[in-house]
Amino acid sequence: MQITCTINGKVHRFDCAPESRVLDLVREAGMTSVKAGCGEGECGACSLFVNGRLVNACLLLAPQIQDAEVVTLEGLQEETAAIRESFAEHGAVQCGFCTPGFVLRAYDYLSHGGERSEEAIKAALDGNLCRCTGYRKIVEAIVKVKS
Amino acid sequence: MNYLRATNLGEATALLARYPEALLLCGSTDAALQLRHAAATATLIDIHALEELKGVSVEDGHMRIGALVTLNELLRSDVVRASLPLLAACAETFGSHQIRNLATVGGNIANASPAADLTAALVALEATVTLASQEGERSVPLEAFYCGYKCTKLDHELITAVTVPLQTGEWYYRKAGMRERLNIAKVSIALTQGHGGFRISGASLGPNPVRFRTLEALLDGGVYDDAAIKEALESDTDPSGGHRSTKAYRLRVAFNMIKEALSQPEER
Repeated sequence: MQITCTINGKVHRFDCAPESRVLDLVREAGMTSVKAGCGEGECGACSLFVNGRLVNACLLLAPQIQDAEVVTLEGLQEETAAIRESFAEHGAVQCGFCTPGFVLRAYDYLSHGGERSEEAIKAALDGNLCRCTGYRKIVEAIVKVKS
Repeated sequence: MNYLRATNLGEATALLARYPEALLLCGSTDAALQLRHAAATATLIDIHALEELKGVSVEDGHMRIGALVTLNELLRSDVVRASLPLLAACAETFGSHQIRNLATVGGNIANASPAADLTAALVALEATVTLASQEGERSVPLEAFYCGYKCTKLDHELITAVTVPLQTGEWYYRKAGMRERLNIAKVSIALTQGHGGFRISGASLGPNPVRFRTLEALLDGGVYDDAAIKEALESDTDPSGGHRSTKAYRLRVAFNMIKEALSQPEER
């Protein structure tokens, strides 16, 4: 089937099977910040925005982005600059594989007026896993993002 | 694979009549994994654009929740938080933020997982599901909608909405699992106590959520004795010993939750 959507503001057309994962389509389109992690919606490494909602690209099938506006970290460089700087300052990164997902979730959370308490941030990060066990620094980095 | 997109309810029921074995696609959180692990489904009917299946409304002391309402929409709805706090508390423990942005109420009901927290909460709240086919609509109490492991009474039908009487009185909801977040329930318990007496249900305590009627009768009769509660729980539930925990563990945790529910309920 033919799927047309915008990714980071540019129109993309895919000729794909209906059961294709959005994860694979966006990576083929060059958006490699979207990581293929668990493939089951547990780790959040493939997080991206579809029509403004943060979702797991591994759980999303091609037909669901027909006519949609898809945004990945590549398309939010300016908007996430302060978050990325804070991650760097606080050493909130080890191997870096989970980082794009965490940055997008932090951006989603803070831009919706999320509370800057550790408890609330921990709860907000329920869909993102870091297997290097770096949560402490990630939470600190999000608490201290400069606004 | 044959992909068909329905843009209204009439189209969806017509397609379902023509392709009764089709897999319905709404939030896709379960469907995407099913397609990956199971043998190829021949037909996919995409219903995620059906406006008739969206939104929450209150009428005559009942809340109608459209089948395509997502878990985050449920969680953020002021009317749900105010009138069905048990359901809001349950939605809060459901999946992760990203999953709650996709997963739908109707999908969770139709998927019929024994560990589905939302359906256990809805059974305790005496919810009714509305099913639509080309022949028209019918309503079934959610408890009667299930017929065994991953089995539902859907008959060339799709779920359009779930209707729930507004909550009154005391309530309790708790879930236990391996970790605090993004958790599949080892046990969850939903309890309400209003004018009609106790209503109790649980997830992961049998193939489907069911009302714990022996236990309800016992508690309605004022018997709070530990041994009697344990015995009633055993007769009302049928927990399996799976890879997530043993039968003995599930029963023990369920018992502890019932005791906690009786001593520290929330109130509406």
